[in-house]
Amino acid sequence: MTSTALNLNYLQVKKGIFSWIFSVDHKRIGLLYLYSLITFFLVGATLGVLMRLELLNPGKDLFEAQTYNQIFTMHGVIMIFLFIIPSIPAVFGNFFLPIMLGTDDVSFPRLNLLSWWIYIIGAIMALSTLIFGDGPADTGWTFYAPYSVKTGTNVTMSVLAAFVLGFSSILTGLNFIVTIHRLRTPGMTFLKMPLFAWALYATSWIQLLATPIVGITLLMIVAERVFGVGLFDPSIGGDPILYQHLFWIYSHPAVYIMALPAFGIISELLPTFSNRTIFGYKAIAFSSLAIAFVGYFVWGHHMFTSGMSGTARIIYSILTFLVAIPTAIKVFNWVATLYKGSIDVQPPLLYALGFIFQFMIGGLSGVVLGALAADIHLHDTYFVVGHFHYVMFGGTGFAFFGALHYWYPKIWGRMYNKLVANIAFFILFIGFNLLYFPMMVVGLMGMPRRYYDYLPEFHLPNMISTFGSWIVAVGLLLMLGNLIAGFRRKREAIVRNPWGTGITLEWQTLSPPPLANFDRMPVLPQDGPYDFDHKPEIKE
Amino acid sequence: MSHTKDNLHKEEQVHITSYKDHFSTLIALLLLTVITVVISVFGANLRSLSVFTALLIATVKVIVVAYYFMHLKYDKKIYTWLVLIVAILFVSFAVLTSIEYLNR
Repeated sequence: MTSTALNLNYLQVKKGIFSWIFSVDHKRIGLLYLYSLITFFLVGATLGVLMRLELLNPGKDLFEAQTYNQIFTMHGVIMIFLFIIPSIPAVFGNFFLPIMLGTDDVSFPRLNLLSWWIYIIGAIMALSTLIFGDGPADTGWTFYAPYSVKTGTNVTMSVLAAFVLGFSSILTGLNFIVTIHRLRTPGMTFLKMPLFAWALYATSWIQLLATPIVGITLLMIVAERVFGVGLFDPSIGGDPILYQHLFWIYSHPAVYIMALPAFGIISELLPTFSNRTIFGYKAIAFSSLAIAFVGYFVWGHHMFTSGMSGTARIIYSILTFLVAIPTAIKVFNWVATLYKGSIDVQPPLLYALGFIFQFMIGGLSGVVLGALAADIHLHDTYFVVGHFHYVMFGGTGFAFFGALHYWYPKIWGRMYNKLVANIAFFILFIGFNLLYFPMMVVGLMGMPRRYYDYLPEFHLPNMISTFGSWIVAVGLLLMLGNLIAGFRRKREAIVRNPWGTGITLEWQTLSPPPLANFDRMPVLPQDGPYDFDHKPEIKE
Repeated sequence: MSHTKDNLHKEEQVHITSYKDHFSTLIALLLLTVITVVISVFGANLRSLSVFTALLIATVKVIVVAYYFMHLKYDKKIYTWLVLIVAILFVSFAVLTSIEYLNR
């Protein structure tokens, strides 16, 4: 490669749409994922706002019950399969894992591009149900049998879309595992890897091992619908609880596919903005593996009211409590990292703090649901919806936004308006809690989920929740608008390490990085990735 | 960066599997297949044990394939452990689901 080519950053090397959609550069693929994910996220968020609008008052306001059922199904399918599962690994994992490991790309760049194309094909299939066939599925994103076998809506296409999307997830996971094992820069042992890489490593194993199970399960739904083979439908000899087992064997570990990368992001943000080493590096690294491992054995807590055996319910409840231990270890270490740190309050740190606050509420309400006796009362109420959104949106969503603000100057070589970013965070934070906390309250009062109507006594919390959804929408638009406006700002201002305290390898290279990621050999800190006492000197 | 890939090649240990090993593995797999067929045809009196027997033979075949044809024998021990963990996970799924089903 010529020196001129080396000096060009990855955005300048080639121009035109084809240089993007057929690029095998991990950075461009990461951005392809980012733009696709944000598009689908906005579609999903719009559906969410529409659902809240219907629930502003009791009774029918905007939609028929059937339409409402289809909207919440589409909202779930889009947000889970098209946004939150791929989110952090596909965008920030693709972009930053090779750079953080000090290498030039992932192990299988072409497979990486293929995974994006498969993702797009799956997304088109999922969205096509809006136009073709008998309308989108009305089953909820879980596609529970036997209803999913019998409903006249377009379940087959939705299920096939989820099946196809699974391949994208598997390929990304496979790529990351091999990259981490084989392409770490010399001197970077496993215990000198950044914690984001550890989190992606644990996540990738789940993607690789759990996703095929849901793939087969979803194909079984198609087989049941098309050929009537009698796997899940009791009227022809099937077992509906078997479906729930197979579905949750994947879908509970999938919760950790969504959450673990977010933990990795927080473990990067806190040392940078506390200007001190992470507390309990090994504990955080190994707790990621522990969560991934124990997370495989707890799927039954989604099925406490399904009619499964009492013995199994007790076993699953006990196992569920075990997951809380490694998760609590992480939270303890994050808070300890902040203690006596030289804290620099920047927008990414606000998102990290918002994450910890909201994830704690989400996590602790999860412990309530893991308790067998409590779950019997709370199952299928709005408490579960509130809990889930606190973990997924308040947790992973906020970590995603935090990462976007953190790595924005590195990805695009520009900087957004920090004051607007701070304001957008607070709007989002207030709106989020107004939107989802009343759901927990109304759930405790007994309001069931997945109904377009409710009793008058649930009116006030629902009204507050809908107001909250509008505030969230304003916060999201302001945040995204501010980031987009940042593209117009001067590029020259961005140095290699714009936060001044970034210590992992991506802060040693140019902003944006060159095509081969580094213009000179990266230098590892002496004593692990967060050795703030012996930081390598970074010259521009 | 390309330097990491160069180092990677240096780290890899070259091994050549003999024809004898390959051929012995093939014979073992063929024999196990014959045993599976014979049991399915003539072992009707095994009743519920027939499924167990078929799974046992299949497991042995998987181990032989992974060990010789897929080079687990010659690779680092960590990869053997990874395969074992996957196997443990799979068995756990089956056991936990069966506990639920049998106690319903």
